Amino acid sequence: MSVSLKLKDLSEKEVLLSSGHRMCAGCGAAIVVKMVLLAIDKPVVVCSPTGCLEVTTCISDYTSWKTPWIHSAFENAAATMSGVETMYRALKKKGRIDKEITFVVFAGDGGTYDIGFQSLSGAMERGHDMLYVCYDNNAYMNTGIQRSSATPFGAATTTTPAGSAIPGKMQHRKNIAMIMAAHDIPYVAQAAPSHYKDLMRKIQKAAAVKGPKFLNILSPCNRGWRSRIDDAITLSRLAVETCTWPLFEIENGETTITYKPKKKKPVEDFLKPQGRFAHFNKPENEWLLKKIQQKVDREWDNLIRAESAKGFYN
Amino acid sequence: MSKVLMKGNEAIAEAAVRAGCLNYFAYPITPQSEIGEYLAHRLPEAGGMFLQAESEIAVVYMLYGAAGCGARAFTSSSSPGISLMSEGISYLAGAQLPVVFVNIMRGGPGLGGILPSQADYFQAVKGAGHGDCRMLVLAPASVQEAADMTAEAFELADKYRNPVMVLGDGLIGQMMEPVSFKENKEIAMENKNAWATTGMAVRGGNTPNLVKSLHLDPAALNEHNLNLKAKYERMAREDTRWEIYNAEGDYQVLIVSFGTMSRVCRTAVEMLKAKGIETALLRPITLFPFPEEHIAAAADQACCKAVLSVEMNMGQMVEDVKRSVGRHKPVRWYGKCGGEVPTPEEVAGEVEKLIADTDIA
Repeated sequence: MSVSLKLKDLSEKEVLLSSGHRMCAGCGAAIVVKMVLLAIDKPVVVCSPTGCLEVTTCISDYTSWKTPWIHSAFENAAATMSGVETMYRALKKKGRIDKEITFVVFAGDGGTYDIGFQSLSGAMERGHDMLYVCYDNNAYMNTGIQRSSATPFGAATTTTPAGSAIPGKMQHRKNIAMIMAAHDIPYVAQAAPSHYKDLMRKIQKAAAVKGPKFLNILSPCNRGWRSRIDDAITLSRLAVETCTWPLFEIENGETTITYKPKKKKPVEDFLKPQGRFAHFNKPENEWLLKKIQQKVDREWDNLIRAESAKGFYN
Repeated sequence: MSKVLMKGNEAIAEAAVRAGCLNYFAYPITPQSEIGEYLAHRLPEAGGMFLQAESEIAVVYMLYGAAGCGARAFTSSSSPGISLMSEGISYLAGAQLPVVFVNIMRGGPGLGGILPSQADYFQAVKGAGHGDCRMLVLAPASVQEAADMTAEAFELADKYRNPVMVLGDGLIGQMMEPVSFKENKEIAMENKNAWATTGMAVRGGNTPNLVKSLHLDPAALNEHNLNLKAKYERMAREDTRWEIYNAEGDYQVLIVSFGTMSRVCRTAVEMLKAKGIETALLRPITLFPFPEEHIAAAADQACCKAVLSVEMNMGQMVEDVKRSVGRHKPVRWYGKCGGEVPTPEEVAGEVEKLIADTDIA
């Protein structure tokens, strides 16, 4: 039986990430993790690679996790979870365990798109039964806001500072969801905390499927995005409403857009409240906004075409 | 040039640019990310290349590629990041490519902590990578030295066609001190080295260059390794560096310490002197080659009754100190390995304990 997504019912359910963790005030990732855990009704085993979430939930000898949790290095959460899940299958085969367990990886974009990419790809290809959740905050926030391959075009980070040489990062982000879909795994989705029902329904769907599942969830970071501390959900909503962060799922290769804004807002609405895009206001940088809008439009169109073609990429 | 107040990490970055190294490849890791952040804006300004890779494994092979073309290239990282690069360090040593590594050490094992440590002594000195490979290792004790040694590391890497490591710790990286820089050095981007893969036309004809570390013929691999060995021995002859402090008097204890820790020990030597206890401090400046003859000579003095190796790890260099001193004088280790830096008082206390235990007085 799946968890009721009524707010009243959810408020009565125990959250497996206890309060008192050291995530920053207003952190989007902490909200995402809680939503994901709330949506799962089976026992959960969690693995996190090095990152904000890991560092802030195992300070000193304490743990914020009310469920088994394992940390490995930065580059291999999916490999570590492959080991855990393989041992679980071995025990199950021998009849020494009969519990149904959901194996969840929570990794940031650095540990997913970049250094953890090889082990993620390997785990997806081998078909381990795990739900890999990327909390995508668009940069290496834990080490001080360095660019990652999830950092959007034009964003200023400490290693892509906007100045006279370059106006922020000069590459678009990787389309990680499509790369994962190309692994031909049963379930891939993109979600955002502003649309919590959509997010939790996706988690429930993923958790019900055997095999590798991948979810990319937007996690606004006020430190790195240079935004207001209480803007995480607002920015998440704007990312969705501008189609910068489309909400979709790919089930066995078939795309469904799970939320279509009635009227697509201009990308500017999402970028404006964020200091990392402040240099967009300079007259000589007008082209940046145009370029982002073009990219967003193209990807949104691709997605609509993929949906009607019952495929995942067009 | 006048002095400026700078953070160690930034001074290292600036020193590299002034040493003519315009090619930097790296991946962020605490406590040295400021090196990359500084270079992200400084290198484009200086006409250089800043590249942030997707992992340390990518970094080390980008360095391999850049150095193979004969360019001056360097990276900086901290302990776990260096571990990921260690395969590549071995390949660099095997292919004899000059690359500079800066390791701003943090505590381990595993993810450990982010506070200062000297726990990568073994890794840097003995286990840079698989196979018979070595790095020349410089250990700065101040921000000024970190800057100077970074600049010098490029010269040494070129001299030996070998990876060179500047081994600092979190304190060197994060501390601010006055620093002055040498004049800018103009190093051409294009390579003048005869061995680099720059295209045959550059060398006027038909001498293809090969950058590789594979030698399937056992006799050829043996010869290759003997050549490397001869190079490492030349490093020992020509570039072993150390300094000794307060060795004029009749010191009862010889303290051996490197990097940040040696500065604390220097204060301890002064404190003990005020109490009427004479000690000397020998500080290895290169950790490979190790100043074993000089430690042996200092320990062999009749006045010296015991040796204390002080390190921010659980006792690594002490093995080399023991090897240098031999069995005729007691050698003891003192240190901390969690990120705390032992205080001068603690070091002085250890020396007094050593004196009492060995019943010298």
